[in-house]
Amino acid sequence: MNKLIYLDNAATTFPKPASVMKKMIEIYSRIGVSPGRGSYDLAAEADELVAKTRRKVADFFGSPDPDRVIFTGNATDALNIALQGLLRPGDHAVSTRLEHNSVLRPLYHLHMKGIIEYDLVPFDGKGFVDPGDVIAAIRPNTKLVVVTHASNVLGTVQPVREIARLSAGYGIPLLVDAAQSAGVVPIDMQSWQIAGLAFTGHKSMLAPTGIGGLVLNREIEGIEPSRFGGTGVDSRSLVHTEAFPYRLEAGTLNLMSIIGLSESIEFLEQMGIESIHAKEMALLNKLRDGLSLLDGIELYCTENFPDHVGLLTANIRGMDPNDAGAILDGDFGIAVRVGLHCAPLVHESLGTSPYGSIRFSIGPFNTSDEIDHVLKAMAEIARYGNR
Amino acid sequence: MGDLSQRFCTIAGKEILVDNEGFLWHVEDWTEEIADALALECGIERLTDAQWAVIRFLRNYFSYYGRAPMNRDLKAGLGISLLNLEALFPGGIRHGARRIAGLPNPKSCT
Repeated sequence: MNKLIYLDNAATTFPKPASVMKKMIEIYSRIGVSPGRGSYDLAAEADELVAKTRRKVADFFGSPDPDRVIFTGNATDALNIALQGLLRPGDHAVSTRLEHNSVLRPLYHLHMKGIIEYDLVPFDGKGFVDPGDVIAAIRPNTKLVVVTHASNVLGTVQPVREIARLSAGYGIPLLVDAAQSAGVVPIDMQSWQIAGLAFTGHKSMLAPTGIGGLVLNREIEGIEPSRFGGTGVDSRSLVHTEAFPYRLEAGTLNLMSIIGLSESIEFLEQMGIESIHAKEMALLNKLRDGLSLLDGIELYCTENFPDHVGLLTANIRGMDPNDAGAILDGDFGIAVRVGLHCAPLVHESLGTSPYGSIRFSIGPFNTSDEIDHVLKAMAEIARYGNR
Repeated sequence: MGDLSQRFCTIAGKEILVDNEGFLWHVEDWTEEIADALALECGIERLTDAQWAVIRFLRNYFSYYGRAPMNRDLKAGLGISLLNLEALFPGGIRHGARRIAGLPNPKSCT
């Protein structure tokens, strides 16, 4: 195969749908002005597009309130806004060892500043957190539970619905990191009782980089902004605007990527996220089954595929995953992600620290032939490892 | 790989600044004697001509471009597959070839 086989879709999906890119450039070329900041029609038109996209995002995640859709740069940005805005001195938070550094580092930062304490709940041998363990970690001063929806290392989809239900029983809001699930796993914030959801546009949402969001329900009323500046409203006041969504947005929005997100949601709705997920899982099953037949390949937590997104983690016994990634790229034209995947505690628990593993992540445009090619390549590399 | 902690280490009789995995911190600290000493750490008694050819390619490339070769450049420049390069050094491509050549530890997500 001469074409690159791109299996790093959990980092960012590539390529983006051609129709999304085309429409994004077309629309931005026509109305790429500062949304809502001017009295001219084009600014109003751009603002209308932003408002329309907030509505689309709210509908997409089952949230009733488009004003509580806060645009951010990505999921990390959204999580930082949420964690730093919600947790106060003396508070306690509960999270898991499955988290990405986008959660671990803000929590650690707040802890090291003497602001909060937190506990991290382990995951089991299949890669799942037990909701009972989350609840058992709750203390009288626990103010937030924050859990990844789908592990970016293992692909396991966590029981956030059950965690949300149980934590709501204690009056504690659940913040969900949907970086890996948004766009492939249907989410209904309202019926699931999810208080806050952080997502990024550039992964399974199929939008460009630079756009993400924090979607909040009415439970999250007292969130403090951690950045301040122009919002286009209340400009006379030195106090940052309190009304949502401006309360948590400062500065000119990334209109081009917002247009991209708007178009990508339409694309996802046309394709159906269940059918995208089913296609990705069929390819992942094929990859998992093929790899499991090879000597010298270690797979991690791949038993439970019904609750999974389209990625898996493996190692070639005795080979630095960084070298395996270079060989897959240089010799076979296959792009994968190696290392710790910014989720060091997952690898610590798996016993794959400090070098990590090879992550294969499927996207909507991968094909069965590509998986055949990957399996041949891995067989060849594993044969070398077994010598 | 991402772990940027530094320490001093005596290599071939010199105090050299390295990272936690023993990669040279300063490319210019490298000498052929240091390459021999690092190779010995990997279990290579004496570097072969083929191994020296790889080391010289890596150093020349780095010296010219200011960075390590990309995978495709490495393969094309050496004229061997990366799988064969992996086999050529007991520590593999990164910890063997690249470290012995005194190139910085690649900063991928680790």
